[in-house]
Amino acid sequence: MFKTLAGRALVPVGIAVTGFVIVCFLLLYSVIKNVVNRDTVGYATNLADTILRSTRYAMLKSDREMLATIIQNIGRQQGVEHIRVFNNQGIVHISTKAGELNRQVDKKAEGCIKCHAGAIPSASLGRMEQARTFTNGEGREVLAVMAPIYNEPECFNARCHVHPPSQKVLGTLDIGLSREMLLKSLAAIRNQMIVFTVMILVLTVGGVTALLRRSVFLPLQKLRRLAEQVEAGEHPEAHPSHFPRELDRIAQCLYNLSQKNYSTEEDPAAIEKGTVPKDSLGAAGE
Amino acid sequence: MTQTVDHQPVPDLAPQQSQAELLEKLLRADIKRLNRFSNRGLWAFSLFILVSLTAWRDFPILPLPDTVVAALGPPPPPYIISIVLLFYTFSAIILSLSRMTAGLEHKSSFCHVGYLTCFFLFYHFAKTLDDNFWAVFGAGVTILAIESYRIWTFCRDAIARRSEQLEFLQRTGRMPPEDD
Repeated sequence: MFKTLAGRALVPVGIAVTGFVIVCFLLLYSVIKNVVNRDTVGYATNLADTILRSTRYAMLKSDREMLATIIQNIGRQQGVEHIRVFNNQGIVHISTKAGELNRQVDKKAEGCIKCHAGAIPSASLGRMEQARTFTNGEGREVLAVMAPIYNEPECFNARCHVHPPSQKVLGTLDIGLSREMLLKSLAAIRNQMIVFTVMILVLTVGGVTALLRRSVFLPLQKLRRLAEQVEAGEHPEAHPSHFPRELDRIAQCLYNLSQKNYSTEEDPAAIEKGTVPKDSLGAAGE
Repeated sequence: MTQTVDHQPVPDLAPQQSQAELLEKLLRADIKRLNRFSNRGLWAFSLFILVSLTAWRDFPILPLPDTVVAALGPPPPPYIISIVLLFYTFSAIILSLSRMTAGLEHKSSFCHVGYLTCFFLFYHFAKTLDDNFWAVFGAGVTILAIESYRIWTFCRDAIARRSEQLEFLQRTGRMPPEDD
C-alpha cells in the first residue's frame, strides 16, 4: 500500500483531514455543550429567583401553609424533580418530597460544601458555582441550583420575626431540574454533527481520491502500459493522447522511441546508416 | 607503479582501499542509525498513549487542581485553551506535511508529546479535562501519526538510497555520482 503512488499521496492527506475534522468536531461539541449547560443553569437560577419572589410575601407573613402550597404546585410542573427550603441550620423546612421534611443535610455534601468549605460560610456564590449535577435515587440526571434566602430589612424589622440584622442568610432554596431534555438535545446535536462530519470527510477524502485518480493515477497507468509495450518491442496501435501536459511529453517520447524501434526492425539498413525512414520521423513529429 | 587510463600515477592503492572500507563502514552505520530513527515516531506515540492513560485517570500522581491553582493562579479559560489547541493542531499538521514535501530529516515527535501533555495539564487544572480529553487525544493521534509516517517514509527512502550506494561501493570501490 505504501509503495504505490496512490498510497503515498493519499495516506497523509487522509490522516490529516480526518484527524483535523474530528478534533474540530470534538472541540465544537465541547463548546456547544458548555453553552447549553450554562444556559440551563441560568434558566434554573432564574426559576429559583422566581420561586423566591413568589414566596416572599408568604415568608414575611410566616404563612407556612401558603408557602408549602406554592412550592408543591411548582414542584408538580414537568421537569422539576425537587424543591426544598432549608433553614440556616440545614434542616429541611419545606419540600416537595414529604419524606425529607425536618431532616438535616450534611454541610459537607455536594451542593453545600461550596459555601461551607471554610470556617465562615460564604454568603454569595457565582451563578455556575450554585449549580451541581447528580443522579437521583430514581436514576434520573438532575441539575440542582441552590439560591440563598437573604435577610432583608423587611425581615429583621418585622415584629413577628426573630432574625437579627447581623444574620446575612436565613436559609436556602434548592431546586432540582431534570436533565432529560437537555441530554436529549445534546444527543441530537451530537448525532447531527457526526453525520455532517462524516459527510465532510467522505466529500474531502473522496474528492481528493477521485481527482488524483482521474488526473494522475489513470494517466500514469496508461503511461506504464505504453512503456511496457515499448520495452516488449510492441508497436503501440494508437498515438497516445489525453495526457496531462507534464505526462504528455513523456508519452510522446515513448511513442517516438517505439516508432524508431519499429522502423529499424523493418529496415535493418537504417541501423548501419544510423538513420530512420522519413515516414517514421514524420509520425514521430506528429 | 600502477598507471590509470589518463596516465596519471595512482599514489597508493592501500589508502584507496581503506577509504572504501571507511565509506562502507560509514554507510552501514548510517543505515543502522536510520533504522533506529525510523522507530522514533512509534516511541513518541507510545509515550503519548502513556500520558493519555494518566490523563484519563485524572493525573493521580499530580496534586489536586485546587492546590495548584492556589499556588500558581487560575489557568486560562477552557475556550482559550481550545482555540490554542485548534491552531496548534492545524500548524503542526501543515508543518509536518511541509517537511514531508521538502524531504527534511527533523526529529520533532517528542516535542509534540510535550505540547500535548501541556494541553492535558491546562484542561486538568481548568477542571474541564472530562469534556476535552478526546479532543486532545484526537489531535495527538493525528499529529503523531503524520509525524510517524513522515519519519518512517523518510528513513525508508534514505535506507534504500544508502543500500544502493553500498552495493555500488562494494562493486566499484567508489561512491556513485550524486543525483540532482
